[in-house]
Amino acid sequence: MAGLEGFRRGFVAMAPLWLGVVPFGVVYAVLAREAGLSLLETQSLSVLVFAGSAQVSAVGLFGAGAAAAEIVFTTFLLNVRHVLYGLSLGRRIPLRGWRRPTAAYFLTDEAFGVTVVSHERTFPFLLGAELSLFLVWNLSTLGGAVAGAAIADPGALGIDLVFPLAFLALLVPLVRTRVELGVAVASGALAYALAERLPGGLPILVTGVAGSLLGAALTRGRPGDAVRLDDAAREVA
Amino acid sequence: MTFWLTVTGMLAVTFGSRYAGLALRTELPAFWVRFLHFVPIAVFAALLTPSLQGSYGEGEIRVAGAGVAALVAWRTRNLGLAIAAGMLTFWLLRLVTP
Repeated sequence: MAGLEGFRRGFVAMAPLWLGVVPFGVVYAVLAREAGLSLLETQSLSVLVFAGSAQVSAVGLFGAGAAAAEIVFTTFLLNVRHVLYGLSLGRRIPLRGWRRPTAAYFLTDEAFGVTVVSHERTFPFLLGAELSLFLVWNLSTLGGAVAGAAIADPGALGIDLVFPLAFLALLVPLVRTRVELGVAVASGALAYALAERLPGGLPILVTGVAGSLLGAALTRGRPGDAVRLDDAAREVA
Repeated sequence: MTFWLTVTGMLAVTFGSRYAGLALRTELPAFWVRFLHFVPIAVFAALLTPSLQGSYGEGEIRVAGAGVAALVAWRTRNLGLAIAAGMLTFWLLRLVTP
């Protein structure tokens, strides 16, 4: 069957990225357990939300005692970029009936990048790439959640330092231009100042919007399309 | 209960974003495309700084561990390696500082 063969090629095309996904999934799960989420809750986020950055941010916010609305809106801010991937994919791959919500549910930066780069723009290939990542993300979540439960006394070990270290390690590869560095430094300073005055997740929310507005204003005159393709290539690299 | 309500909201906004692009046939204004590019940078930086100090009075060696983690992340772009290096530095400094 041509469909099954395409699915297999998509699944395999994602394999080189597993190496990056596994540690990310493990780190997410350890952070989730450290923030007080149960095994079921930790795994549910990976199955139902399936968005690494948003999940890591959410468990950080859960730990800080943020309100539900703050967590949901931060998730929206971090995930609304998928609109761009959908716009681009929808033009390349015709999706009818059940295929559209299915492709949407499992869509990630990585699946978009791998599919666009492959030049094999079919639904089976896209789904293969998507499910490849979904499977590995959830298995590494499970592994990390079980391992995280085995840490005897997280407080005494200072394990909570893993939170800022994880955000730092996620941030550093994104910063490549002077404007990006400026936005990162300004956002870090603003959030630090606001954290003493505002409760829960509000400093992150306010800073997320303000920092992104600053970046968009400072890059005026540059075409948005270049930024979009650049992002996808970076995620895949 | 609050947890599952939050997850439902997260699922709605995430699936909504993923579905909207596939269903729509429009172009996003360039300003908002650039805005989205900066969202993860601003959010990660905002999550980083308030949690760096910690609440056990070990701020200095935590920052030192973060410095090593940043260096490793910059050189290797490897999340697991950067966190491991940062934690090891933190634990070593903890042993040698009274």
